[in-house]
Amino acid sequence: MRYLIRHDTEYRYTQPATLEHTSAHLQPRAAPRQTCRQHRLEIQPPPLSMTQRLDFFGNPVSIFTIEGPHDRLLVTGHSLVDVEARPPMIDGMSQPWEPLRQALRTDVSPEGLDAYQFTFDSPLSAGSRELRPYVEQSFSPGRPIFDAARELTSRIHADFAFDPKATDVSTPVSQVFAERRGVCQDFAHLMIACLRTLGLPARYVSGYLRTEPPPGQPRLIGADASHAWVSVYCTGMGWLDLDPTNDCVVDTDHVTVAWGRDYGDVTPVKGLIVGGGQHTVEARVDIVPEGDATTVAT
Amino acid sequence: MSLPPPAAVSPSLIRGYAPQPGAYNEIADAGGRLRPAWESLVRRFDTLGPDAIRERWTAAQRVIQENGVTYNVYGDPRGMHRPWELDPVPLMLGAEEWADLQAALIQRARLLETIVGDLYGPNRLLKNRDLPADLVYANPNFLRPCVGITPPRGRFLSLQAFDLARNPEGKWWVVNDRTQAPSGAGYALENRLIISRILPDLFRDVGVSRLARFFARLRDSLAALSPRATADPHVVLLTPGPHNETYFEHAYLARYLGFTLAEAGDLTVRDEAVFLKTLGGLEPVDVILRRTDDSFCDPLELRGDSALGVAGLVRAAAAGNVAIANALGSGLIETQSVMPFLPALSRQLLGEDLKLPSVATWWCGQPGELGYVLDHLPELVIKSAFSGDPMPPVFGSSLSAAQLDELQQRIAEQPHRYVAQESVALSTAPVWQDAGFHPRHFMLRVYVAAVDEGGRDGYAVMPGGLARVSAAQDSMVVSMQYGGGSKDTWVLSPEPVSPFSLLQSESRPTPVVRAGHRLPSRVADSMFWLGRYVERAENLTHLLRAILLRLTEETSPCGSPEQARLFDALSLDTGSPHEPVDTGDLFADHAAAMRHIAGVVFEVDAYNSLASCVDRVQELGSIVRDRISLDTWRVLRQMRGALREDAAHRLDPTHVLTCLDHLAVPFAAFAGLSNESMTHGHGWRFLDLGRRVERAFALVRWMKALLVEPDPNEPMVLNALLSVSSSEMTYRSRYRMSVQAMPTIDLLLLDESNPRSVAFQLLKMEENVSALPGDRSEARRTPEQREVLSMLASLRLADAEALARTDPAGRRAKLGALLDSLGAALPAFSDLLNSRYLIHAQPHQTSFQPLETPLNSEEETL
Repeated sequence: MRYLIRHDTEYRYTQPATLEHTSAHLQPRAAPRQTCRQHRLEIQPPPLSMTQRLDFFGNPVSIFTIEGPHDRLLVTGHSLVDVEARPPMIDGMSQPWEPLRQALRTDVSPEGLDAYQFTFDSPLSAGSRELRPYVEQSFSPGRPIFDAARELTSRIHADFAFDPKATDVSTPVSQVFAERRGVCQDFAHLMIACLRTLGLPARYVSGYLRTEPPPGQPRLIGADASHAWVSVYCTGMGWLDLDPTNDCVVDTDHVTVAWGRDYGDVTPVKGLIVGGGQHTVEARVDIVPEGDATTVAT
Repeated sequence: MSLPPPAAVSPSLIRGYAPQPGAYNEIADAGGRLRPAWESLVRRFDTLGPDAIRERWTAAQRVIQENGVTYNVYGDPRGMHRPWELDPVPLMLGAEEWADLQAALIQRARLLETIVGDLYGPNRLLKNRDLPADLVYANPNFLRPCVGITPPRGRFLSLQAFDLARNPEGKWWVVNDRTQAPSGAGYALENRLIISRILPDLFRDVGVSRLARFFARLRDSLAALSPRATADPHVVLLTPGPHNETYFEHAYLARYLGFTLAEAGDLTVRDEAVFLKTLGGLEPVDVILRRTDDSFCDPLELRGDSALGVAGLVRAAAAGNVAIANALGSGLIETQSVMPFLPALSRQLLGEDLKLPSVATWWCGQPGELGYVLDHLPELVIKSAFSGDPMPPVFGSSLSAAQLDELQQRIAEQPHRYVAQESVALSTAPVWQDAGFHPRHFMLRVYVAAVDEGGRDGYAVMPGGLARVSAAQDSMVVSMQYGGGSKDTWVLSPEPVSPFSLLQSESRPTPVVRAGHRLPSRVADSMFWLGRYVERAENLTHLLRAILLRLTEETSPCGSPEQARLFDALSLDTGSPHEPVDTGDLFADHAAAMRHIAGVVFEVDAYNSLASCVDRVQELGSIVRDRISLDTWRVLRQMRGALREDAAHRLDPTHVLTCLDHLAVPFAAFAGLSNESMTHGHGWRFLDLGRRVERAFALVRWMKALLVEPDPNEPMVLNALLSVSSSEMTYRSRYRMSVQAMPTIDLLLLDESNPRSVAFQLLKMEENVSALPGDRSEARRTPEQREVLSMLASLRLADAEALARTDPAGRRAKLGALLDSLGAALPAFSDLLNSRYLIHAQPHQTSFQPLETPLNSEEETL
């Protein structure tokens, strides 16, 4: 599947901002089933300086500075991304979760060491006692890890209401869990916290969901904006992505931008300004399969 | 002067000295014989006798008070600026013992440097399982954005500190490693200056190693980190600000080492380089000695909620354009969970056995250690495995069975988050109390700086340290946060001591610099407001004295006729715009008037009260502490001292009047010092501008309240006005007649030779703004120059007689109009000045991009 993606983030300030430092995670990263063919970042007004590099997790990040009075900042990422279909799951591939957890403790292979860090609490997604009974319902002794995680995905989807008004970017997992409502970011943080409560490696994935569903299928929640889901490390099978907001295993409808311990590591656009007064921010995402536009036209 | 003959074997001072059983006794051995390093000290104290010691000690306390040596205790209402606690008896350490300790400390410093360099670089320790990955990945002080950054010279740790304790067998142990921004070195230096001053002969006779050379080497090695090849690298000391517990020390060290004291708001990153915002523009910064915890240093890449950081600092460090000491991320190994691995790491990385052991520590992330800890909980102290975790230490011995169960469960759930340690038995040293020596437990913090040694990396150990003693005899808790005290530490020198002062160590000639171009904008801003608040407090004092004098002199409850007008002026000065005061009531009711006045004088929380102004003066003074002289600082502190409230007498006019009289002295001293002892550079100009703006503004308000509507008893009102504006004498020397409106208006408003007139203030303001840095190539006047010239012109064109004349409605409308226009122009001038020079708006977060969250629900965190 090849996608053409345009992601606008627009800030407006009530008073002119005189200096602005911004960091952006907008370029889709390299991933096992994904290749970013092209990426271009447009910034208005143009920045004085810009650095691009890979962050600790291997995500491309751009850091730029804008000087001089401006009352609007528009950051647009244009990307062309290929996503391959997920290989089919074979019954019996997934192993019980406890030995996997144990093996990871002494695994110093680069992949094992990398996965191990995601078993620990992070600022926005920490394991807790309160979550233990909830997660243990799915993670019964000896159960294969993928089955358990897949069921947890479904249970979060069933038990929690999608409610954009209930939370904001700083709502803690404990509140989401108590009030049983939130958005994709909250569900991802909650599920990661559940897995970390058991000492299992789980990471936060920031990305996109295709805007228009294939013919005959319902439109998914989280399109037209940044989306977020969860990746679980299953030794032998690698990282498997699960989307608790849509109760599905991630396949070709999702495009990965970046991953980290939680939202804080991979925030799409964040910054600091001098001046500027109050500000508003608006984000728009368009993601269309390449060729769709021409299909419609002919 | 020769010492008196040696006293008896057991000098009287320590005859009653009962050391704590089970603890090492620093001063004497088990047989009661004095240890050699202490002999001279004990003899000397014995000879001096309690009275002389008390006398000297009082002198030292006064120095501490007057020098403003303070330590801020968090969450304590009395906490801000608590005087530093210092015991007069230094801790004595012999030369040989120190030599061993010094070698061991250097080894440990080198080891920690090697470990942190690996963890942020090649990371072999994790890949080879020399160190469990948990200690890095679960550690909140592992700063991922800093991975891969090689600091200048590859040096992560320029200054390290170690907390040492001595066990009952006399062996030193390390209790804490401080690798990120160790505090206390400045207090140690201040302690030394005070104690050597009260015990000068003893200090000289026993041969104490000097501290100055250590600081000189630290300073030189920090300057040498500069990535820019320059003869004069710009080093700043980054402080979290006056609310930090050790702010005194930040200002003190900055001044002592010749660094610029900077808060985050003073610095800015442009094109991946760091600059100081000064009045003259942006000045490049080469080296940052930071006292801000590393995770707070860059809100862009580290903690986004930090208001103490400089956006872009991590990138600037990564680009190699600035040296940060200690490097961002160094907090990683400031954790006790690393301690159990140090002996093996020392053998592996340095090829040496670890010379200085750590206190026995078990990290629960390992199965064997976890088992041991769970079995021995009652004997152990349980702590968080990572520094920065809010969990306070838990003493197993103090827990009930149920609490132990609960703790066991918690540890078993997330074992990697806990370490257990043996309780440390601290040794005891004598403190001076109730005319004698008494044993107290203590811990010694020592400092190691990375320095150049003939072109190679070496280390220097401060010959001394900061000893912190427990508050009570049986307490093992030594923390300045929990009320403990401190001690100077004297390391006896193996060879004759050569005098060395930091000022003499300059090897290169210092270029002559006249104007303080490096004046940070924030400092100029504080100077401006310091001037305004001192003047505001002084004006208020004049007004309150005039009112109180009338209250005490008059027998009639209504007071003199001009009193009502003075109350009007008072309410203009202090009334909150939201809560107007009914001055009629005050005039009529003596008791109500006194209550109101007491509020205006003493209520710190009341709007523009005298106490709140004096508080603000203190606060601003502490911000510019490194820019004003010690004497000026003392004077500022006396202002608060004069206002000390006596609750029983707060409604007694005589008492309040006495307080105000006491205030007059420091006000006068401050005015004199700032004019005569401060260089009239940019900092002084802002201070003076603040005073002038405030004084002109007060005169305008008073004239409005007292003159625009003429009073039937005008001469008395005029007298009152002349007295509050300190122009009574000038008036009498010029006019040998009863007081009249026209000459009064001329004297207070238009007379450019009266230092208390509005016109005089405007003249001085004009002089000051013309001398500030600006674009000299521009022939045009700046907006603030134009504003002040326009005010001055309006006064020069005014006719005193016309201003004094009343219109048919009985008002002085012309005067009213002129005062109104001045009353609007003065704040406008102040704003212009602010926006041109002083704006140092803290950057604020543009928040996170929302996902599906509504746009208006984002949290703005600062």
